[in-house]
Amino acid sequence: MTLSQVLRQMMIKESGSNPNNDSSANLPDQDNQPPTLAHTLEEFKDCSDVTHESFPEHQVELIYFDQLVDKEKLSRHILSPLLTGTEQEVSKMLLHLQPFHTNSSKDLILNILAGGVGVFHGPNAFVFNVYSPENRSISQSETETVITGPHDAFTEQINTSLAMIRARLRSSHLKVIKLSVGEVSKTEVYLLYIKDIVNMRFVDEAKKRIEKIEVDAILDTNMIIQYMDDNKYSIFPQFLTSERPDAIVSKLVAGRVVGMVDGSPSAFTAPTSFFEFFSSSDDYYQRWILGSAIRLLRFIAFIITISFTAMYVSVTTFHYEMIPENLILTLTESRSRVPFPPLYEALLMEVTIELLREAGARLPTKIGQTIGIVGGIVIGQAAVQAGLTSNILIIAVASSAIASFVIPSYVMSASIRLIRFGLILLAGLFGNLGILFGITAIVIHLSSLTSLGSSYLNPVAPFEPKDWKDIFIRAPFSSLRARPTQSDSPNKVRNKTRR
Amino acid sequence: MNRMLLFLLTLVTLIVLPGCDYRILERIGFTYAGSYDLVEDNQIEVGISIPRADPTIKLVRELHSAIGKSSKDVRLKFAQQTDLLLVNGQIRVLLYSEALARKSLSDQIKGIVRDTSISPLVKIAIVNGNAKELLFKNYKQHLSTDKYINRLLEKESTNHQIPRTTLYEFERDYYDDGVDPVAPVIKDDGENITTDGIALFRDYDFVGKINSKDALVFCILRGNFKKGSMSLDLNSKNDDNAQNYIMFTSMISSKKVYVEHKANEPIHVVIKAMIKGSIHEYIGDLKLSDDAQRHQIENKVSQLLSERANRIMKQLQEKKVDSLGIGMHVRNSMSYKDWKGMNWREVYPEVKVDCQLHFKAKDYGKAR
Amino acid sequence: METSEKLSPFHTTIFIYMIQTGVMGLILPQLLAENFGTNGWITLFGFGILATLNILLIGVVYKLGQGKSIFRILEQSIPKFMLVPVYLALALVWALLGCMAGKEYILIFQMYAFPTTSPMEFNLILDILVFWLLTMGLYNIAKASTVFFWLIVWFVLLLFFFYADFSWSRMTPFLFKGGKLSLLESLDIYSSFVGYETILLMFAYTNQKTKLIKSAMLGNSITTLTYLYLALITFGVYSLEQLKSKAFPLLEMLAYIRFPFVERMENLLFGFILFTVLFSVVTYEWCALEMLKQVFPRLKVNFLAFMLMLSCFVIAYIPDTLNEVGDWLSTLSLIECGIAVGLPLVLIVVLLFQNIGSRPAHE
Repeated sequence: MTLSQVLRQMMIKESGSNPNNDSSANLPDQDNQPPTLAHTLEEFKDCSDVTHESFPEHQVELIYFDQLVDKEKLSRHILSPLLTGTEQEVSKMLLHLQPFHTNSSKDLILNILAGGVGVFHGPNAFVFNVYSPENRSISQSETETVITGPHDAFTEQINTSLAMIRARLRSSHLKVIKLSVGEVSKTEVYLLYIKDIVNMRFVDEAKKRIEKIEVDAILDTNMIIQYMDDNKYSIFPQFLTSERPDAIVSKLVAGRVVGMVDGSPSAFTAPTSFFEFFSSSDDYYQRWILGSAIRLLRFIAFIITISFTAMYVSVTTFHYEMIPENLILTLTESRSRVPFPPLYEALLMEVTIELLREAGARLPTKIGQTIGIVGGIVIGQAAVQAGLTSNILIIAVASSAIASFVIPSYVMSASIRLIRFGLILLAGLFGNLGILFGITAIVIHLSSLTSLGSSYLNPVAPFEPKDWKDIFIRAPFSSLRARPTQSDSPNKVRNKTRR
Repeated sequence: MNRMLLFLLTLVTLIVLPGCDYRILERIGFTYAGSYDLVEDNQIEVGISIPRADPTIKLVRELHSAIGKSSKDVRLKFAQQTDLLLVNGQIRVLLYSEALARKSLSDQIKGIVRDTSISPLVKIAIVNGNAKELLFKNYKQHLSTDKYINRLLEKESTNHQIPRTTLYEFERDYYDDGVDPVAPVIKDDGENITTDGIALFRDYDFVGKINSKDALVFCILRGNFKKGSMSLDLNSKNDDNAQNYIMFTSMISSKKVYVEHKANEPIHVVIKAMIKGSIHEYIGDLKLSDDAQRHQIENKVSQLLSERANRIMKQLQEKKVDSLGIGMHVRNSMSYKDWKGMNWREVYPEVKVDCQLHFKAKDYGKAR
Repeated sequence: METSEKLSPFHTTIFIYMIQTGVMGLILPQLLAENFGTNGWITLFGFGILATLNILLIGVVYKLGQGKSIFRILEQSIPKFMLVPVYLALALVWALLGCMAGKEYILIFQMYAFPTTSPMEFNLILDILVFWLLTMGLYNIAKASTVFFWLIVWFVLLLFFFYADFSWSRMTPFLFKGGKLSLLESLDIYSSFVGYETILLMFAYTNQKTKLIKSAMLGNSITTLTYLYLALITFGVYSLEQLKSKAFPLLEMLAYIRFPFVERMENLLFGFILFTVLFSVVTYEWCALEMLKQVFPRLKVNFLAFMLMLSCFVIAYIPDTLNEVGDWLSTLSLIECGIAVGLPLVLIVVLLFQNIGSRPAHE
């Protein structure tokens, strides 16, 4: 393309849209043929873990993956009649299998891969699901711990996770759409919603976006949501993820859509707003005043995280007038031994803290604690004594790091920590105005963001004062009567308790 | 695509553009206090005190002084003497010698007001004696002198031994046509610094002083306040044998001014002040718990205070300075034309002012 | 990215407020003292009412045109080649107005910090932010303005600090005495209200539910009240002559605020005023962009916006002192006041002709 063409493309509007060239439309259709044993075996050629058993006396052939199936179920329903049974019993078994009769080779293979057993009897093929993979037991969530309230968390096994939701929501209105993503992995993705509470607009949108994904494998919920993002360049997560079934159920009844990925212990919900990342299910299990106080604390923590170190840099580099009389001498004294300008000093310490955090996260818990002690005491104390940083900066850096961990969502807290670096840089270049330029940029970006097409800053812009009492504070339940406006639910009232 | 471009553009901008107005904390010398003295040839001597907080050196503060035509002129000389970048943003106290103030502070104040880095909360004080010597002298039993002066002024003004005088207040009263500015006076007292009354200004010129003994009454007349304590000798002049002494604290005073115009008569102004306080000390024959006797003491105190107030008022009128802001009340009781038609400064000494101070004991301590 | 969503009444109100308030608010009390003397703050009521009347005039256009965009109204009766120079002239005025307001803010800031850094560095960042907002479309601009509104509204609480020094007797009982009224300067005061006329171009982005005119009037009254409150406090804290001698009384007042952990708040708070300035700038640039869109319908909006901001940036090089920028701004606001009244009048005339022309066809 020549330069003039590029320029032309940048400048001039395209008139009329290009016809969509759909590449996925004309795939070879051979998989839809009726299944045959030969074809199936051909498919699983070189898969040494596949089990193929023949029962020539009954004209039955079995194909399955030994490690995926529930042995007991398999032997009770299929193997034992075949091994020991008479002709009569075998035909009875085959009769039972009738509902699982399949006509599509593709379907058969997919089901075998998903833990079914393929049964070939003459020209007929059946696939019977006896899926039971090895499973981790239900345990506490490592990333989202609460003090009061349920402690169980989703596991990697989707059936267990779905069961945890079903157990909490005994309603036939809880609907589950099953989708499959990943051309190789064929990962099962479930979309959950409650009929009559959810706005179908969001379900359809989420479904559409998942169906559009064309990728080899999806390994985690946090991966699939990035394929579904409204704005892929944004630093902020546009879907809320959680490992806690109670949190997810609360989102469901609030009228949001929930998505779960097989093999991932977290579920995502949408549409979501920036402020939702600051609430934890704890807030609802405590008295409302406490819950409100903690929520406010989190917003204060947010301000501290993004601004403390930046303010330190800005004030010590440019705006010395702002320091109160009693503080200025202490500050000067601790700064006077530091050989670098405040900007480098701050970046150095911030990077150190991030290194510590990352090291702590990668190491096993016990060693992680040691790292914490080594980092916290040795580096902090020694750095000040060696004259590499001022002790007031250590306080600023440490408190902003601590504050960042107050934010319940790990993804959000990581994003915010990264933003902090930008603000520190701006503060070092342009002082307070730099910080405010940074904040302006963040707010402009946030206000252009959407989550499943609904505004990311929901109760603030568009302005929904009703929702503020469940976002900035946690009002008593008696006044939390409506579902959040963001979910645009057709069934607005959620609480009719008369008192 | 567009967004990436924008992002890159911003990033490049940030890296390319350096801010260059660094004021890195340890490289700047922030003046804490300044002193101004008049020397011959119409020149002024400026002294500044810069606190140092470098742990490697013992120095507590850096002192510089120089003589020049104007304060800005002198600053250039300081800049050549120090390794620090001199800045004004942390100035807390400005001291002017009485001699300079008598000549006029006009140039000095106007010079400061324009400087955006100087806080409007800078305290202004007049030094009885040489300002530079006072600032440069080290007082053994006190903090570094600049801080000592600042805290002294702050404490004394919260206790209303002197009026609170910051640059903002000084300037405001200068510009207001119904009130004249005041400033506290301090002096060297050997081992210590003490307050030495209140300087009265006509415009920017020092014209007189209120003794520190009368300072509290002056503050009562000037405005409402809380806090402050006062001791009074209740003896009348003829019987000085009997001990009769009272001291009260936690004063709450509220002032009201009434202006009355009568044809062919000078303007009549009544200043009424209500003072409430707790009696902390009383040496005398009367019993405080007895209502009648306490009222007797209260009346006595009120009478003494009113006498003092009237005396101060006379003094002010003689000097033609309306430091109490009576003009403001007079102005607000007249039409604009009449006010502008009258030269307040000339009319002021003729005004009949009557100060009525009433004291009331809120409580009288643990003893009855 | 342009969404088809229409402005909501609340957003419009706040948006108008954010457009109107700006850097003029810093100078306003001084201008009032200079022109009207004692108790000059009361005149703000009058200015507010004038602005309201002007909004009502625009309301007439809205009503007569049944919410049609002004381009459709004009192009229906006047041939395009005659309109193009008008569009370009309007675009020029608005683009300049926006860019001067931004530059003025930066120059004032530089009195307090970064005195020797080139103002164009800051101007560049400001222009990038403005460009970014421009590419997001009006709906998102209005949305962002709401967020920024919440970020600065707590400013009002800071004024409680002045209650101790506030005195009614300092205000004097005289009404408008001791001032020197000059027509040009009182137009400057009025220009601190200007900004509401941009709703003329917002017709296409609204519907019945927006209640555009009502929201604009509400926004205007919030502006008036804010200014009134600010001016009232300044008049009570400063004596009249002192006020006249201050270039930026509001900033100086902010310097007075002192917290135990931070002093000299003007250094920080001045940065916050960036938010309101940003929206004044963005809106004028947006108006200029709307005009340019009509002139060059074939060019991409983002490209137009880029060229607009680029030329603004270049033009901002020309005046380089605070006084020069102030003069430019005065002249431009004068023209803008003219546009605010003149453009709706022209539109009304055009609409009346159209209605007369179309009536027989109906019957």
